[in-house]
Amino acid sequence: MSGSVEQPPQPANALRLHRQLAAIWATGPGVQRLAAVNHSVLGLRMMITSFVFFAIGGVLGMLTRVQLATPNSTFMDAGTYNQVFTMHGSMMLFLFAIPMVESVAVYLTPKILGTRDFAFPRLTAYGYWCYLFGATILTVSLLAGVAPDSGWFMYTPLSSNVFTPGINADVWLLGVTFVEISALSLAMEIVVSVLKMRAPGMSLDRMPIFGWYILVTALMMIVAFPPLILGSILLEVERAFGLPFFDPARGGDPLLWQHLFWLFGHPDVYIIFLPMAAVLSTIIPVFAGRPLVGYRAIVVAIVALAFLSFGIWVHHMFTVGIPHLALAFFSAGSAIVAVPTAVQIFAWLATLSHGRPRWDLPMLYVFGFFFVFVAGGLTGVMLAMVPFDWQAHDTYFVVAHMHYVVAGALAFPMLAALYYWLPLLTGRSTVQRLSTVAFWLVFVGFNMTFFLMHLTGLLGMPRRIYTYTGYESWNWLNLLSSVGSFIMTIGFALVVIDLVVQLRYGRRVRRDPWRATTFEWAMPIPPQPYAFASIPHVGAGTDRTEAGRIALSLARGEGYLGAARNGWQETLGVHMVSGKPDQLIVLPQPTYLPLWTALATAVAVLALLFKLYPVAIVATVVIAGLFVLAAQRSGHARDYGPLPVGRGVSVPPHTEVAEAPPWLALICVLVADGTLFASLLFGTFYLWIAAPNWPGGVSPDPSRLLALGAVAALAVGAVASRLSLRALAAAGGAQGWIVLAMLALAGSIAALVGMMGGVTPDPRTHALGATAVALLCFVVVHAGIGLLFLVSNLLRLAGGRVSPRRLVDFRLTRLWLDYTTVTGVLALALVLALPALVSVLGARA
Amino acid sequence: MNARGHSVPARRLWWLAAGFTVWCNALVLLYALHAIGCVFAWPAGALRWTLVVVFVAHLVAVGWLWRKAASAERGAAAGDTGNFLQVVIEWTMIAAFAATLVTFGPPLWLTACL
Ligand code: HEM
Ligand SMILES: [Cu+2]
Repeated sequence: MSGSVEQPPQPANALRLHRQLAAIWATGPGVQRLAAVNHSVLGLRMMITSFVFFAIGGVLGMLTRVQLATPNSTFMDAGTYNQVFTMHGSMMLFLFAIPMVESVAVYLTPKILGTRDFAFPRLTAYGYWCYLFGATILTVSLLAGVAPDSGWFMYTPLSSNVFTPGINADVWLLGVTFVEISALSLAMEIVVSVLKMRAPGMSLDRMPIFGWYILVTALMMIVAFPPLILGSILLEVERAFGLPFFDPARGGDPLLWQHLFWLFGHPDVYIIFLPMAAVLSTIIPVFAGRPLVGYRAIVVAIVALAFLSFGIWVHHMFTVGIPHLALAFFSAGSAIVAVPTAVQIFAWLATLSHGRPRWDLPMLYVFGFFFVFVAGGLTGVMLAMVPFDWQAHDTYFVVAHMHYVVAGALAFPMLAALYYWLPLLTGRSTVQRLSTVAFWLVFVGFNMTFFLMHLTGLLGMPRRIYTYTGYESWNWLNLLSSVGSFIMTIGFALVVIDLVVQLRYGRRVRRDPWRATTFEWAMPIPPQPYAFASIPHVGAGTDRTEAGRIALSLARGEGYLGAARNGWQETLGVHMVSGKPDQLIVLPQPTYLPLWTALATAVAVLALLFKLYPVAIVATVVIAGLFVLAAQRSGHARDYGPLPVGRGVSVPPHTEVAEAPPWLALICVLVADGTLFASLLFGTFYLWIAAPNWPGGVSPDPSRLLALGAVAALAVGAVASRLSLRALAAAGGAQGWIVLAMLALAGSIAALVGMMGGVTPDPRTHALGATAVALLCFVVVHAGIGLLFLVSNLLRLAGGRVSPRRLVDFRLTRLWLDYTTVTGVLALALVLALPALVSVLGARA
Repeated sequence: MNARGHSVPARRLWWLAAGFTVWCNALVLLYALHAIGCVFAWPAGALRWTLVVVFVAHLVAVGWLWRKAASAERGAAAGDTGNFLQVVIEWTMIAAFAATLVTFGPPLWLTACL
């Protein structure tokens, strides 16, 4: 044991430690709540917010069921119905499902992994605000009667400005993208946190399976969202500025939208499913009274699932006229995706059958899940068969399938999770009788509502119709389905009542009421802002210890970091594989910065919505400034060297190590950004190959000289940033190199803008020009962000925030500029080559 | 601190993604080549053989990765964590091999551009 932080445990230690840590970690009262950055606070807020949107989305769903209960209904007109069902789907998926699973991840992951918070608390807060503001914009549009009305998937050309001239579609494109900023930023921080911030000794094979699921899900989000974000940007640009990416009359292709959308859309269904599978894999062993069967098999299965789910998006497009041979790839892929899903289901069943299952409320919902999800999985495999899909596509059969899987994979485990973790959140246990009734109402109502949709679908009822004549033999089925939806709603209402009753009258629970072994139960109930008074150690001896048993020793400060130091919010970073502590991570205090940044982002989004472009530009500059400011405030102003962290271990602060969280975060950003870039390349090639009205042999000549100049300038920037890093490491002057890099980037931006001016054909008249502009814009934006990195470097250099030992900033800049150079070369090569390609391969058949 | 698996470097984690990355690559290449072949009216035989070659090349690539993963150090020296990663990586390779075989093999028998 070393250093002054080690004190022998004393009886009063727990309370004193609690007071000290609470003072450091707490979020202030009153308005200061808006400055919260703590994962417990934000996770809970996000959860509650998502449930509010669940309620609104649910009401919208009920409205559609009222409309469809009887033929020729005059309850809603067609226009209103379009808004209602579009918002129902969009809200449920973008404003409820994704944020809800993320909120579960935010709230629980650090606790289950035995650490005090996520790596980037300010980003958590920014993510939350973006979600709230984006969702609010969408909701307000509903109240104003200008809600999106082209379906939750916004197919072009219906959503293009020819057919949807109002701002309805813009609300969706901008609002949903805004919300996705939050999804992406949270995903990145989850990846970094799961990999780097676990309890010491928690090697990857000791990590609770929950961590694997959340890690894989977050990685999937990083890759899944960029295609949709790109699609939304391109469609918004087409609608606002007339660049024809999706307009077939000018060389665009409406099917490009479907590709980009489902490239996101299919992985998204697994992004929703996997965290819920994480819940099941966590709960089932507790109730079975034995460890999960097939831990390794499940890890393999979720890795496989993650990849396979990206390769089957075309099963949503079986009817668009793609050649059979290509369809067969996706059909086969869709069928085998059932295998890793089945592996998990059998692992759960085996866990139950090998254990001595306790029957408690969460298990009731687990049972509901099994029933509903397996049924939905089977209809999924049916739809994956091309000939069947040709019959069932765009009918209520698909609506039935998706509700069985999305609602089954989401609602039932979600309620199981709620009842399982509610004692942790509230310190009270549920009132059994009410919740059992609630379950059966939800279960029966659910099956009644959605099972019958299989039948109406097979009887030919198309999706998205607002009424029917009454002679189609769908009347009874639709009426019963509507009745079922009311039963289900009553069930959900009972759940809500049950929660309220529980909060007021529930029995107080002791620590670890379920006798679980995961660390979220090894803390005071309800959780404190610092989560663990000291951080647990994981080793062979602790693997199956009930969490409640170690709680007291942790509270007395007998784990790592069991003392307050410098008023720092401290937690540990570990080696990604072995879980050996390798850095002391000091987290930022509560701040209003995320709120201001999100507000500025909201202004930018609204300005784009109302076409006030100068305002949007100003807001963007403000956002950039706020990000630079946020960077200013992080890290330490001096070198510390190794600091004692308890149990005889000393590690350097995160500012002084190579594998620091920001470094990993940048890698995540580049993966996301690289996916966006790849999608843009895909889109360009796609239009070239598939879009109608592409000229055979135009030879627009983009200026080679400017292109060469731009690339050379980017390269100079990258080299200069390398040299600045070298200079800093050698304690020399780095300013000169930084300024040189800035000049080079500015030069390349000038050259690129020059090229954009000279693009032929005019980008508004043909997609060939439009894609060229899009590619050039991509490079300009990245060079611009590179400038921000360099500005930040200069400021931090001046403020003493970097030193030969604290190099992370400069390494980030170097990586960013390398990336910018590589993508820049590729983008410019494509801009130069595309017109030539058009003539090289000759005429299309 | 014990040193379980301490010797396993973090970059070993990339191997978890390697097998299925090849699968993804096969999908992208096959899908793109097939589309290009059909659009530019390549002769059906030539198109099919191109696809078969690409398919087999990817199968070989996954197979090679599988062998490489299987031959990594195992046993007490690798530690619990090392052995865990080893097994998991090997099985992702096996899964990726099977997936490549099943998803891309049979479709190549179909009429090229119908
Ligand atoms: C064995 C696994 C699955 C297979 C093979 C499968 C297959 C399919 C197919 C082929 C379609 C398109 C039907 C059409 O539009 O003609 C579809 C639609 C859909 N699936 Fe699945 N699915 C599976 C699992 C899931 C899961 C787990 C979820 C959600 C958690 C899900 C959510 C959806 C949704 C939301 C749609 C409808 C999208 C829309 O058109 O609005 N599926 N599925
Ligand atoms: Cu799908």
